Amino acid sequence: MCGIVGYTGINSVGDILLRGLKRLEYRGYDSAGVAIVENDGIYLQKTKGRIRDLDEDEFPYGNVGIGHTRWATHGKPCDENSHPFYDCAGEFAVVHNGIIDNFVTIKEELTKKGHEFTSETDSEVIAHLIEDNYDDDLVATVQKVVTKLKGSYAICVLQKNSHRILIARNQSPLVIGVGVDENLVASDVPALLDYTNEVKYLEDGDVAEICSNEVRIWDSLGNAVERETVEIDWDLEDAEKGGYEHYMLKEIYEQPKAIHDSLLGRLFEFNDVDFKRYDTSFIRIISCGTSYHAALVGKYIIEEIAKIPCTVELASEYRYSSPSDLLPFTILISQSGETADTIVAAKEAKLRGCKTLAITNVINSSITREVNEVIYTQAGPEIGVAATKTFTTQLIVLYLIALELGLNNNKLLREDAQEYRSELRRLPRYVKVLLDRSEQIRKVCKKLVEADDIFFVGRNINYPVALEGALKLKEIAYIHSAGYPAGELKHGPFALLTESTPVVAILVKDHTFEKMLGNIGEIAARGSPIIAVGDHDKELKKLSDELITIPSVPPMFSPILVNVVLQLLAYYTAYELDCSIDKPRNLAKSVTVE
Amino acid sequence: MKAVIPAAGEGTRLRPFTSSEPKVMIPVANKPILQHIVEALVECNITDIVIVVGYQRQRIMSYFGNGEDFGADIQYVTQSKQLGTAHALFQARHVIDDNFIVLPGDNLVNKETIQDFLTEKKGISVLITRNEHPSKYGVVSMQNGVVKEIVEKPVESTSHLISTGIYYLSTDVFTKIQEMMYDNIYDLTSVMNSLKSEKPLYGVHTDSMWMDAVYPWDLIKLNSAAVTNTAPSSKGVIEDGVTIKGGVSIGEGSVIKGGTYIEGPVIIGEGCEIGPHACILPSSSIGNDCSIAPFSMVQNSIVMDGVNLGPSSLLDSSVIGEGVEIGAGFNSHVDTVDMIVDEKLEKVENIGCMIGEDTVIAGGVTSYPGVLIGEECHIRTGVVLREDISPRSTVF
Repeated sequence: MCGIVGYTGINSVGDILLRGLKRLEYRGYDSAGVAIVENDGIYLQKTKGRIRDLDEDEFPYGNVGIGHTRWATHGKPCDENSHPFYDCAGEFAVVHNGIIDNFVTIKEELTKKGHEFTSETDSEVIAHLIEDNYDDDLVATVQKVVTKLKGSYAICVLQKNSHRILIARNQSPLVIGVGVDENLVASDVPALLDYTNEVKYLEDGDVAEICSNEVRIWDSLGNAVERETVEIDWDLEDAEKGGYEHYMLKEIYEQPKAIHDSLLGRLFEFNDVDFKRYDTSFIRIISCGTSYHAALVGKYIIEEIAKIPCTVELASEYRYSSPSDLLPFTILISQSGETADTIVAAKEAKLRGCKTLAITNVINSSITREVNEVIYTQAGPEIGVAATKTFTTQLIVLYLIALELGLNNNKLLREDAQEYRSELRRLPRYVKVLLDRSEQIRKVCKKLVEADDIFFVGRNINYPVALEGALKLKEIAYIHSAGYPAGELKHGPFALLTESTPVVAILVKDHTFEKMLGNIGEIAARGSPIIAVGDHDKELKKLSDELITIPSVPPMFSPILVNVVLQLLAYYTAYELDCSIDKPRNLAKSVTVE
Repeated sequence: MKAVIPAAGEGTRLRPFTSSEPKVMIPVANKPILQHIVEALVECNITDIVIVVGYQRQRIMSYFGNGEDFGADIQYVTQSKQLGTAHALFQARHVIDDNFIVLPGDNLVNKETIQDFLTEKKGISVLITRNEHPSKYGVVSMQNGVVKEIVEKPVESTSHLISTGIYYLSTDVFTKIQEMMYDNIYDLTSVMNSLKSEKPLYGVHTDSMWMDAVYPWDLIKLNSAAVTNTAPSSKGVIEDGVTIKGGVSIGEGSVIKGGTYIEGPVIIGEGCEIGPHACILPSSSIGNDCSIAPFSMVQNSIVMDGVNLGPSSLLDSSVIGEGVEIGAGFNSHVDTVDMIVDEKLEKVENIGCMIGEDTVIAGGVTSYPGVLIGEECHIRTGVVLREDISPRSTVF
């Protein structure tokens, strides 16, 4: 998900480009670069790594330039593959977002004609195509060039000795910012808002010429067109975030409603899938990231409630594993339904002859076309990159599946099912109660912000929750953290425990509680600060530095509540550390590449 | 024309029901009071709405968003310190550039109320109504359709006409508010009394709905008024042998089990489990994810989200907060009682009990009329609740 900015106007461009790129950081990137029109040439600097790795002192003075953050697709992240790209003569500089499907053919043709390429990217062909077709009219040249491109693109082109930027878009985002004596272009509105709140959205196939005091647009047929100038409402984002400072916090607080919606119409009668049509005597769950942790919890849920053996695999590993004669009923979990690894795994499972079910949040997403059955989590849109309410609702769906399977195979008593259902119905309220106590959790975070390493430990059904808690903290607070099954500590990780390694321990009153208490005692003996999350207990309170209690629920449902606490821990720790919470560095919301 | 709705207050007198929600978000007829107001405005084609938020503002903002779901375009301004009604309104000065109406976020009104005002208003106007307890409000004295004076909470009131707090104003009011705030005057009534010496303040009379929620028991009346016109509808599952009469609305995913008798107006939310053999009688609202166990009866009550009412219980003229758990055989007695209102005793008719959120009540508990039970209390088996219980208490 590359990011593009461009500027032409009366001000020095270098600083403007860097600031714009910063605003697009949330899109995720692995390299960055800028091009600035200078005296009789185009200056170019690009690097693998961070925006701050660009050396601003080296930038020449100039009033027109383009910048780019690259999220590698074709060609690995390295200096050479970073944008912008020159043509052979250095007459033009080009940045591109999107994927040119026919670049191999174009590249071959151009190479035959003598063009020399410096990168492995699809994007570089655009610069050479422009050079090859240039006939003193850059607008006409770009219009001609884009007809040769197949795929998606947002393109910005600079020319030597010229103060304009030529742009074109098709299926990739590009927005023009209209200012006074200056105009901008960017992949997304946030990069423009420091300079103007008047924007023009381009339509697919549009080509435009941006000068400092004029914007001219042509549609795909070459007709001059006007695109409406839209005023961006400065308050708008605030309303979208519902008064919360970040989408993540808003989404954490939306969980009571998300659980309610996820249970709606399914709790008493489950009609989403008729499991009786399938052999469900052995189940495999496949997924990535947070969804993988949901799958691991799901294993405990399904084995406990439905008494069906269940294995869990990472999607990126499953596809390379050896097929066997066993054909488990295969459940794939992906929030977006676009996760490339999980989609490939779904295809692979089908190929191996398994019946498949997808759990996803996005209706008609790609994965739904690859599977026999679909269950939607009904969490509503999730914008924060760190998954919160979608994890919670994935668990809800897994509970519902386990209840259904357990009743089908007569391993679950009707009265127990009824009891489980009443507990599920109470969950939205319990989560709400927990959220009302967020102040206490916020205070506990003060103990985490100084740490370089944090351990998360749990047992049984809360072991995967420890993994998820560690992942959240890594994702948004950039603190190295690792989740362990508490019983495994003494098999190695113990060596790393010091007085400055906080341990977040999950203890609920299930059959592992006593064992966990023992583990906590061992950790306490090393002097590590202990933050316990779980059920109230006098002994535990004595052993731990902090105890965050959850409303009392059967252990089976504790993951939902414990996880909410861990979400808030991660959120407030990141907040204290002033991290970019909704848009963590290097990460993208849906990982659509393998 | 824009409408400004001050909704920043906490509503401490409505405790225990404002322990985690701002006052305007308390549900009557399963919708926040504020939503009733927003919907009434939209029905009158006033869609540009500015909400002044403060206490727990994210609860309001995340519920209403940009207003799209309600057919409105909602903007928010924040009043960080709740100094008074004029100060609240003042926060909206940057987003108002023409004449506008202002209406309090915690008074229940309907389309007719706003329509009355819009058609009758001339120049700067205030909507006035008759009230049985005028001394609790701003009492209005009138001459030839023009307001002579508004006296806030007079000891002896000379008239039954009170200000609803709904005004039609011009942007001049902001200059006036600013002037008066220099003298530490922050309430809108004082500002209006001062403003009317410069230009006439017209009084527009309405007999349409206007109800104030000051004390928890007021909510029962508000609820009863708001459910009156409930249209029959069901998105739930209704088992055989259920009797439904009148305007009964049943939300998605709710199950009404056999032998249950429901007489409208009644609103039941989403994901509830009612019965078998429960009895829900007129003017009751039951929130989302509730369960009403067999042989229990609910009448003229508000039951908020996530409440579990045990079997063989009686809930009458009561308000039950979110997440309350009530065991078997609960009995809320109803009578007319003297309640303490502004340090005075006031007769409140037909009142049951009011229970704050997440309180857990064991089996066989009985409550006396008018008893207020705080949030997160534990009431043990067989207790007779004769007096108010403070929050987080355990009663044996």
